[in-house]
Amino acid sequence: MPKLKPEDLERITEKVKRTMILREGTGRAKITVHMGTCGIAAGSRAIMSALIKEIEEKDIKDVILTTSSCAGLCSREPMITVEVQNQPPVKYVDLTPEKVKEIFDKHVLSGEIVKEYALAFGSERVP
Amino acid sequence: MAYRANLMLCTCTMCVSVGALKIKKKLEEELKKHNLEDEIQIILTGSSWLCTKGPTLIVQPDDVVYQLLKEEDIPHLVEEHFLKGRPVKSLMYIHPEALHPIEKLHEIPFYRDQRLVALWNRGIIDPDQIDEYIARDGYKALAKVLKSMTPEEVVQEIKDSGLRGRGGAGFPTGRKWEFCRKNPNTPKYLICNADEGDPGAFMDRSIIEADPHSLIEGIQIAAYAIGAEKGYVYVRLEYPLAIKRLNRAISQAREYGLLGKDIFGSGFDFDIEMFRGAGAFVCGEETSLIHSIEGRPAEPTQKPPFPVEKGLFGSPTVINNVETLANLPRIINFGAEWFASIGTEKSKGTKVFSLAGNINNAGLVEVPMGITLREMVYDIGGGIPNGKKFKAVQTGGPSGGVIPSSLLDLPIDYERLQEAGAIMGSGGMIIVDEDTCMVDLAKYFLAFTNDESCGKCTSCREGSAAMLEILTKISEGRGEEGDIEFLEELGEAIKDASQCGLGQTLSNPVLSAIKHFREEFETHIKDKKCPAGVCKALIEYSIDPEKCTGCMACVKVCPQSAITGERKKPHKIDQSECIKCGVCKDACKFDAVKVE
Amino acid sequence: MAKDKKGSVLIVGGGIAGIQSSLDLANSGFKVYLVEKGPSIGGVMSQLDKTFPTNDCAMCILAPKLVGTGRHPNIELITNAEIEEVMGEAGNFTVAVKKNPRYVDEDKCTGCGACTENCPVKKAIYPVEEKIEIKLEPEDLERMKKIIEEYKGKEGALVPVLHNINVSYSYLPENILRYISEELDMPLSLIYQIATFYNAFSLKPRGKYTIDVCLGTACYIKGGNRILEAFERALGIKVGNTTEDLMFGIETISCFGCCGQAPVVVINEDLHGHFRITKVPKLIKSYKEVGNAEVEA
Repeated sequence: MPKLKPEDLERITEKVKRTMILREGTGRAKITVHMGTCGIAAGSRAIMSALIKEIEEKDIKDVILTTSSCAGLCSREPMITVEVQNQPPVKYVDLTPEKVKEIFDKHVLSGEIVKEYALAFGSERVP
Repeated sequence: MAYRANLMLCTCTMCVSVGALKIKKKLEEELKKHNLEDEIQIILTGSSWLCTKGPTLIVQPDDVVYQLLKEEDIPHLVEEHFLKGRPVKSLMYIHPEALHPIEKLHEIPFYRDQRLVALWNRGIIDPDQIDEYIARDGYKALAKVLKSMTPEEVVQEIKDSGLRGRGGAGFPTGRKWEFCRKNPNTPKYLICNADEGDPGAFMDRSIIEADPHSLIEGIQIAAYAIGAEKGYVYVRLEYPLAIKRLNRAISQAREYGLLGKDIFGSGFDFDIEMFRGAGAFVCGEETSLIHSIEGRPAEPTQKPPFPVEKGLFGSPTVINNVETLANLPRIINFGAEWFASIGTEKSKGTKVFSLAGNINNAGLVEVPMGITLREMVYDIGGGIPNGKKFKAVQTGGPSGGVIPSSLLDLPIDYERLQEAGAIMGSGGMIIVDEDTCMVDLAKYFLAFTNDESCGKCTSCREGSAAMLEILTKISEGRGEEGDIEFLEELGEAIKDASQCGLGQTLSNPVLSAIKHFREEFETHIKDKKCPAGVCKALIEYSIDPEKCTGCMACVKVCPQSAITGERKKPHKIDQSECIKCGVCKDACKFDAVKVE
Repeated sequence: MAKDKKGSVLIVGGGIAGIQSSLDLANSGFKVYLVEKGPSIGGVMSQLDKTFPTNDCAMCILAPKLVGTGRHPNIELITNAEIEEVMGEAGNFTVAVKKNPRYVDEDKCTGCGACTENCPVKKAIYPVEEKIEIKLEPEDLERMKKIIEEYKGKEGALVPVLHNINVSYSYLPENILRYISEELDMPLSLIYQIATFYNAFSLKPRGKYTIDVCLGTACYIKGGNRILEAFERALGIKVGNTTEDLMFGIETISCFGCCGQAPVVVINEDLHGHFRITKVPKLIKSYKEVGNAEVEA
């Protein structure tokens, strides 16, 4: 191990940035995969794996991937919710790994909403 | 590997004592069972959360905390939360007065009201991973200091920040450094005092266990400022986990070239040696700590000469406490002005306290100076368990004193606590409820200091024994008129005549107890009663026939076979046989054993 | 100095306190008889290097007083003597003093010291300890050699060396301490002083399991001392001792820093938090049988 120079600190920071963002909860975008029993039955595990693969392959550091329970629309699972910072969340339905890949590229990375898969903008109203 | 969630499992000494490692094993098994081991990572952190609620698990990025985990909870937890995404409410924190669990970690008062400076990284990083520390601005302060500041500028910066020693006395850190810096003699040494001997204090242990690199960086900054090439960390032997983690951190830093020759290419050479103490309270005292490292009898010597003039091996030496040093990287990164904006006029920044005793949320707490005791006890601490009444706070361990409930609105800083007859000390804060006897507590501290007195000064050695004898007399019901006055007089005399901090402060617990709870001492002497039901000679155990269900639990455990009775009929204690060991009270599930 | 005689005083013991009292009283006019058991006055202070609290040289304080006492007209020194009997009452005592023979004519002796130098049995008075040959088992010897190699010549090596021995043997055996005293060229008295100063070291063998009951403040107010008593009762030994079969030893510790889990008991390295007094018998049993504590928390 060669001796560290001050510049190397930045390099190391970059290397573990993903982990840190995860823990501090400060990512640029957050993808929630709905993993209720219905979701799992409809194949949300594959969606999750696809997303993890995307993140790994493209070496994305500032996107948080998380799970939540059934979103209440069991018939249209698998579903995900994408929240890009400072934008309303978007729900996508009836997904396949291929569709997710597209959403990831377009919406998460370029900020362009994939309208044909989207269900609605915004979240359910909370009283 | 891209993980989607991190499970921050607290593996501090305390959580390990209640089975955190078993939880880890079970979590691994369950994650594997659901094929989640590539998606979810378990990180072992240092003390991160409420210590009484261990083992605890923080789930990020969900910001959810689970507490009081048991092995059998894990399969359900993994399936519900990590597979299906439904956080398990039954394992979450419930505030004592609230009915519902609080889901988000940062909304819990214990967490919300804290301000983390020295504990900046607690529970966020894996203490065994130097990279994670670096990612949280680690070693940037060191780089800044070495590249762009002269040692004098560093000293000035710390002076401006108003940082005071967190070990107890509260001496301004910057000034201490300046004395050493200006001393022309070489070599110079920096010693980190991690000999946290005060019973009831665990701040230093927690800082080392949760974030050892902060300490290393702090030591380096201090060493650069005073011009030292070698540092020692004096750690208590009773902290094996802290020793292990710090050792690992030191070797990682060496591997990265952050310790050794020519650090960051700046020409600054520095290395750290670890020194394990051997269990002597007096070694927390500067001069005696130095003698201990030198391998001489660890007795204090007269000051002056102060260690900054003539310390370790006769060279100028600065001794700083762990918490003081752990503050430094943040002060350098964010500036003296930022640090000075926190706290009160004379006490700047934050202070880490270890909150323990009869309190719901015991644990490690970092708060801005000037917070009131009431906020500490009720908001952060969550109040007193089992509906008992708050009686007093004991601060500063055997050198400190008690603060009664009438002073609950006292802001916590160095000066105010001193005025109240207690001291800040290293930050141990023990909450006692109505079941604690003040005479007994005073006796406890005196027994401790009497045992730990090195024996050099007659006033300390014999004085503590004399005070202990009188207190024992009082607690056994043999107290006489005039004992209290004698204790006061003797206490003052010991203060005046002793050489080191141990002797000068050993009478504080007694004097402050008399000051605030005089009537309790008088009751012991005049009425021969212990109102709190602690002093054995003055109490009697009996069984309340109304509450006793006749379950035989106490009959079985009584070591003297002093309890008689039949199943389903109230039991009875034979007073002539009873040795007042309290086992029956502990065994009774119906609160039927009374103490009077 | 007051010249008028007021009466006489007898002082027993010629240490610094006796000397100073004699001088003060003699100066205020009393006739003083200073009785000392030993052959000379001076007491313990004459053997000290420095004095508390000023670190002044002891002899510098004492020497003028010794001379002063010896030549004071009002003081009569009676050394090598003991009080036999005291009769009478305050104001009118009669004291019988037994003066032991000195075998030297006090009027002629100048205290030159020549006779002590030439005494053939001097060694009987100040015996020189016979050098004890230290025998170590081969494996002990090897272990010690390794430790000494690591620390020899280093400043402040003693405590780490003792730690190492303590880890290997769980106590500090006498022959090993004698060995390192030789090898590190340190007086055995210093090693013993250090070894007995710290709580972590023991000169007696310890039990297989050391039960450390935490008596930190938090543990204490939650009944730590009652737990200690329960262990003492259950094992039939007092704190600081080891059971006869060398299975258990009981110690206390001033704080483990586990106050959140108070009260705490530590057995070897295993921590038991939230300890309850009723668990004592079960815990001891499980250590005896399985060698660890699968006792539910």
